Amino acid sequence: MVQSIVLSGVAIGCIYALIAITYNVMFSASRVFSFTAGTLGMLGGVLGSLFIARMGMPVAVGFLLALAGGAVLGIVTEIVAVRPVLKSLDQHLYVLSTLALALMVQQFTAIEWSTEPQPFPRLFDIARGEFDQQFWLPMLACAVVIVGLELLYRHSLIGHAFLAIAEDSFAARALGLPERGLRMASFALAGVIGALAGFAGGEMLLAFFANAPMLTFYGFVPVALGGMGNNRGAVVAGLLLGLFQQSANFLVGGIFASVAVFTVFIIVLLARPEGLAGSALRRRV
Amino acid sequence: MSITRRQVLASGAAAIAGSFVKPAIAAKEPILIGYLPALTGPSSSTGVGINRGIQLAVQEINAGGGIDGRQIELITRDTQSDPTKAVNGAAELTRGQKVSVVFGPVNSGESLAVVPLLARTNTPQVHPCWVDSLTDPKKYPMCFRNAPTNQQIGGAANRYVVDVLKRKKVAVISDTTGYGTASVNAYVPMLKAKGAEVVYQGNVDAANPDLKPELLRMQSAGAEAIMPWSVNAGFLSRIINTRGQMQWDVPIVGQTTLGSGQTQALLEKPEYWAKVYPNNFRPVCSAADGKLSNRTDAFVDRLKSAKIEMGDTLLWWIALGYDSPRMIAEAMKNVGTEPEQVVAYLNKLKEFPGVYGDISFTPDRHDGYPDDEVVMVEANSLKNGSFRLAPGYGS
Repeated sequence: MVQSIVLSGVAIGCIYALIAITYNVMFSASRVFSFTAGTLGMLGGVLGSLFIARMGMPVAVGFLLALAGGAVLGIVTEIVAVRPVLKSLDQHLYVLSTLALALMVQQFTAIEWSTEPQPFPRLFDIARGEFDQQFWLPMLACAVVIVGLELLYRHSLIGHAFLAIAEDSFAARALGLPERGLRMASFALAGVIGALAGFAGGEMLLAFFANAPMLTFYGFVPVALGGMGNNRGAVVAGLLLGLFQQSANFLVGGIFASVAVFTVFIIVLLARPEGLAGSALRRRV
Repeated sequence: MSITRRQVLASGAAAIAGSFVKPAIAAKEPILIGYLPALTGPSSSTGVGINRGIQLAVQEINAGGGIDGRQIELITRDTQSDPTKAVNGAAELTRGQKVSVVFGPVNSGESLAVVPLLARTNTPQVHPCWVDSLTDPKKYPMCFRNAPTNQQIGGAANRYVVDVLKRKKVAVISDTTGYGTASVNAYVPMLKAKGAEVVYQGNVDAANPDLKPELLRMQSAGAEAIMPWSVNAGFLSRIINTRGQMQWDVPIVGQTTLGSGQTQALLEKPEYWAKVYPNNFRPVCSAADGKLSNRTDAFVDRLKSAKIEMGDTLLWWIALGYDSPRMIAEAMKNVGTEPEQVVAYLNKLKEFPGVYGDISFTPDRHDGYPDDEVVMVEANSLKNGSFRLAPGYGS
């Protein structure tokens, strides 16, 4: 039983963590919490199933096309739902604009794809076992993203530019950095990470349009717990959320498991409003 | 009292008008039947199947001369699986089109909105929705159900688990939808009344990707049968897949969606579908030898000759659709199209011979489907929309 809790808990936690990183990458570039993060995850699963299972493409081609689809939606999010409201961030209009776009994509998927969950293909033709690919694929994807982002942000010029925009967009622009282009690149990157989450977790979550609100919701919890914009905090909080959720499923089961998860979530936020790994926001007066 | 020549002429003219003009118009005018299927939208698979049967039946009735020489005209309003659109469609059918009878909606969510509305418009209604409260001869005296109720569906599954499979320790699980929770709340007391012990009872979010914790809890509680109540193919397939992964040899008995093609498509291995017993209806199921009843066999032949596809839907949906206009037509052939007369006829209907089942109503009971025709079938026997009866039923 412990093995089952750990395996599925860590796997689901990795998917939540990847969605949380998707939120964070978009937030860092724009100071906007885009609620299309869960939709990107849903789309990764649906596109993967569409390209590989329905259209019969090779896994590698389907994988790349699914990620490309995520990148396109990321860019569309920036252009349609984020850029127009950047000037009035304090009015939080992005909540409406990003939610509206997410709902449109979700409904379009329901109409054009299916309102029923569809199977996601087995990516590797190997026998099922306890440590099955449906568990280790999300873990591998999460590890690749963490390492990749570390390398990008620390060892590449464009990564430094991303960090500069995240730190102070006005100063970065004054130094001649192409803020708009970098922001679009960040949203494309977030789209790739979100789609990767849905693709890697496709076998667990299935290719289902209703995964979008579920991922949007549970993906936001690690963001709040881990500290906004803090990827390491998001990964730790995502893993803890997955493990806690599975433990609650075993111990109390049913809808009480969700109640337990959100009770702990509220208690943590009451104790540390800035999140477990976040630092209190200081306002200069 | 004296009679003037003018009075004689006037009454003569009226008699002539009454004997020639009125029947001439009546013979030409079609009988309008309002029809509210969900042909598009998220819950349209039922409506699409039912629609195939309805269209065939109306074609056959009209080809046979209609009802006393009058053709049936179906006035269709697609509800798009949306209760609001169903209400708009019902209002337009009754007030704008002035239909004689309404068949539908075919989904409970839409019927919950439409039944009270039609009750106020003096329009007879026949629908096939399962939610128990959707018929009530006192509140809705013109509304009839030619399909089972949720009580009958749950009762059949409970009888199969307790009486046929002889399992006394049962796990009852549903998703968190209104249908799921209402089903568990209704069926658990029924199971207990039959002497079963409900060792696990839970409502689980259908989006939960891992149901192994729930099945382990069932197993450790000693469950001998799992009864899931959900129309979500993803949720049901996860239960079946997890049982297979755990190599837990326990029957799964419950909702018809357990046997749907969508559930089948989500199974990790085809053999996981063994020992899965969904609800179905005896007249449209084959016996252990694979043969359908003579009446159903003849119906399938008619479907084949009309080139109606059966492989992507369920036979009971087509049969239900086929029976509904025939039942309404029989009432109108006998008593005409006046609402009160149609309702009075249906109130006394006894064993209308449908392909889907023999339907009977009384003034106090507008649920027409017989209890013993609701059965369980073997999910993995699905062929051309029909299933084989589960082990334990006589032929």
